[in-house]
Amino acid sequence: MPRKVNYGLDYDDDYDDDNDYDDYDIDYDVEDNAFSVVTGNLHKPNQEATRSGIWRCSICTYDNDQSMTACDICGVLRNPLPSSGISNGNDLKTAPFKFDVPSPDDIVTNGLRSSKMGPKGTSSSYHEGGVEYTLPMDEIKPRSLAYSLDSASINDRGGYSNSYGTGKAASQGQYKPEKWMLHEAEDGLLSQLNLAIVGHVDSGKSTLSGRLLHLLGQISQKDMHKHEKEAKLQGKGSFAYAWALDESPEERERGITMTVAVAYFDTKRYRVVVLDSPGHKDFVPNMISGATQADAALLVIDASNGSFEAGMDGSKGQTKEHAQLIRSFGVDQLIVAVNKMDVVQYSKDRFDLIKQQLGTFLRSSGFRDSSVLWIPLSAMENQNLVTAPSDIRLLSWYKGPYLLDAIDSLQPPTRNVSKPLVMPICDVIKSPSMGQVSACGKLEAGALRSGVKVLVMPSGDVGTVRSLERDTRPCAIARAGDNVAVVLQGIDTSHVISGGVLCHPDFPITIAKHLELKVLVLDGASPILIGSQLEFHIHHAKEVARVEKMVSLFDPKTGKVMKKAPRCLLAKQSAVIEVVLQGPVCAEEFSSCKALGRVSLRALGRTLAVGIVTRVIEKEPIAFFKSKYFVFFSK
Amino acid sequence: MRIVRKDYVRNGPGSVKMVPVDSDDLWFAYNLIAPGDSVMAATVRKVLREAASGGRDAERIKLKLEITVEAVDYDKVGSVLRIRGKNILENEYVKMGAFHTLELELNRPFVLRKKVWDSLALDVLHQASDPGASADLAVILMQEGLAHIFLIGRSMTTTRSRIETSIPRKHGPAIAGYETALKKFFENVLQAFLKHVDFNVVRCAVIASPGFTKDQFHKHLLLEAERRQLRPIIENKSRIMLVHTSSGYKHSLREVLDAPNVMNMIKDTKAAQEVRALKDFFDMLSNDPARACYGPKHVEVAHDRMAVQTLLITDDLFRNADVEMRQKYVNLVNSVKDSGGTAHIFSSMHVSGEQLAQLTGIAAILRFPLPDLEDIEM
Repeated sequence: MPRKVNYGLDYDDDYDDDNDYDDYDIDYDVEDNAFSVVTGNLHKPNQEATRSGIWRCSICTYDNDQSMTACDICGVLRNPLPSSGISNGNDLKTAPFKFDVPSPDDIVTNGLRSSKMGPKGTSSSYHEGGVEYTLPMDEIKPRSLAYSLDSASINDRGGYSNSYGTGKAASQGQYKPEKWMLHEAEDGLLSQLNLAIVGHVDSGKSTLSGRLLHLLGQISQKDMHKHEKEAKLQGKGSFAYAWALDESPEERERGITMTVAVAYFDTKRYRVVVLDSPGHKDFVPNMISGATQADAALLVIDASNGSFEAGMDGSKGQTKEHAQLIRSFGVDQLIVAVNKMDVVQYSKDRFDLIKQQLGTFLRSSGFRDSSVLWIPLSAMENQNLVTAPSDIRLLSWYKGPYLLDAIDSLQPPTRNVSKPLVMPICDVIKSPSMGQVSACGKLEAGALRSGVKVLVMPSGDVGTVRSLERDTRPCAIARAGDNVAVVLQGIDTSHVISGGVLCHPDFPITIAKHLELKVLVLDGASPILIGSQLEFHIHHAKEVARVEKMVSLFDPKTGKVMKKAPRCLLAKQSAVIEVVLQGPVCAEEFSSCKALGRVSLRALGRTLAVGIVTRVIEKEPIAFFKSKYFVFFSK
Repeated sequence: MRIVRKDYVRNGPGSVKMVPVDSDDLWFAYNLIAPGDSVMAATVRKVLREAASGGRDAERIKLKLEITVEAVDYDKVGSVLRIRGKNILENEYVKMGAFHTLELELNRPFVLRKKVWDSLALDVLHQASDPGASADLAVILMQEGLAHIFLIGRSMTTTRSRIETSIPRKHGPAIAGYETALKKFFENVLQAFLKHVDFNVVRCAVIASPGFTKDQFHKHLLLEAERRQLRPIIENKSRIMLVHTSSGYKHSLREVLDAPNVMNMIKDTKAAQEVRALKDFFDMLSNDPARACYGPKHVEVAHDRMAVQTLLITDDLFRNADVEMRQKYVNLVNSVKDSGGTAHIFSSMHVSGEQLAQLTGIAAILRFPLPDLEDIEM
């Protein structure tokens, strides 16, 4: 099929999209009156003069001459008769219209534009994957207003690349989610809960998760036997359950978890996604990556004598650091599982001691007493996990819920399904054989379905969702809060990176190097000076950052500025600082997107400060990345 | 640096003839040569000559030129020192006052004539001519997916290579991808290691990383050396050390130098001393912030009150300053030394020097706390 221009072999879809936007620009300049579209005046033959004299058939993508009313090759009519009413491009395309090809037809572009630039809810243009989809047209009034607002923002667009950028500010408020996105509580689907399991090294996190999975039937007896046999062979018999989650030979050999393992199980109320984090000090960056996805957390404590104290140690133990980090991720519901109670003979005194000491610390970190649950249990002996305890020593003094009950009693978090799509990419799995790449992560806002087009940041490329997978099983729709693997196609595999973000093509997120942060310096941290080089963690991305300027110190309780331009930041102080990163990251102000606005600063193996992004000082233009993409052999 | 002839008066004029031996010496020369001095060296100049037949001939002639220095430029990447200035020596090929750029080469002598040989310049000269104590450490600083190879010399740290790949995480079916990607990454690092690390020059090689990447790489290195019979690695197996750091980024290099087993090898070298001094400064800042200060103004104020115990300053400040400023800093260093304190001049090419440069380039640990420094503008 002849194509207008050949930029690259694989990027047809992307290219066509760009062409789409270019068309809109031209049209807009010619047509001033936004409202004329709304009133149903779709047919504007004079606009075609601005076209280059050919139109592309929507079915076979053949370039036809202007004079033809039907495609030369496939015979499909150029302008199928419009059904009644309003300029929804949707109605016009009763023939399966794949929106991934441009339609030089200006009726269509008009219709498309009004529906595309109006409230997104009525537009289904790019969400179709060949499936016919109509929505009730009941939003004329808001649309016209929205459209004029949007037109204002469209005016700013220089080239197509900016179309991704500036449309956002005005249209953020006008994003209307589609019906399929909001469809919840259908056919008995349990709501999803992301549970991060954190704690000091060797507290029994992986073993606990493995046990739970086994007891709830997620791991078959055969698999469990296999793990046990292999573990005994390597001399690590006690790690048999942990091996269900630690799958790589490195992890098994050393008996530790190195990266976050994801597993799924169901309780009465929730589909729980277990994020088993490493407890080792060196792997805290990996734990951060996992814990950003969490809705609630399970802090595992080793009750045995000496281990608890070691965990609580400020500089060497991870219990405190993990607790502070998850609090900074916005998790306010915590279950503290005091593990290895069998080693201390289920002693109530020990439990009370731990509860008291850790409780004061958690309170000072910001956890409310009412949202912290304390569960004594033993993973090795299967006490108090999925049923009430059977051991009399524990039964004698403990009358509270068992672990599964406690998980069920957690409050479901609010999901931003009605906001535009935001999905930070945690992992990227490439399958070169199929020419596709899958991005794994948790949807923070919005929803996804196969056939939908997504914008991959920071590269700025647009890809199509081929399929979605949850727990290695394909699923049809993923909504905010779901942890899925998205198989993408039509995109360069090297552009999808861990630390990137998938978002809605019309609502791109900002990429920046220069940020203003509001941070709280944790106690035990070394002082932070101007020019200090720190590691900057935001959702799944990490970069080297330099403290550029320290704006002010303020009192966290009152919010008043205590001192301007401090010399250095000491432990327990709150301050506003500016950092410059070595490479750009996807970041958003905390007020507009929580998931992309939380940061942590680390250095020398310790977390020095946690905070939020208050302002993006200098945005990186997406066009920068796009231009790289269009240059041949640049990569 | 080999000093051939010395002829100067302390704090007075004089000349020194010297021969740079390695690239570190070029760095010393860079610190010594300042605008206003004169340098004489053998160089090549293109000269236009009228041949008898009337045609003009461009000939490259080797000659000895002396120039007054206007600008000095050190090329880090190519290890070349370029000095630009006006010619002051009578010469049949080059006019007086004509501009020329001298390139100082290794193993070629040159004469440096200065108007004032101040204590700092003499210090540098002394250090340069000191034959012993060369740190010469090769460090591979890595984490999963990122590796740097550094060469830590006496006065500078050069980044020899930087390797970055994206390694997928390991989840279920994707484990195979992880293994192959990791192997490829290690292979790249190994190639770079073979290319840049010459065991005849470096004393030892350090592999540093958080987690277990260093052990994995070490194992891979030894296995490959056995398999491919790589002589340099097999012979020097004992000179490869493993050190734990908190990350693979460049600023973790100071942790490498802090590690006890590395410290033993290089304890008397400048690099180690610098790292220690900076560490002391940070410790003081966290324990008692009123006893540590940074920034030229604060340090000046502290010095006026005779409060400076240890002065940390980068050689950048000396080089970039005009004569007046340089004199001021020299005086500062001297008076601190005279009053019983210590002055550390950090090489800005070392990691610790870079860190200090980020903090304005000058810092001090004080004898007694000065809390009112907080109120003074920086």
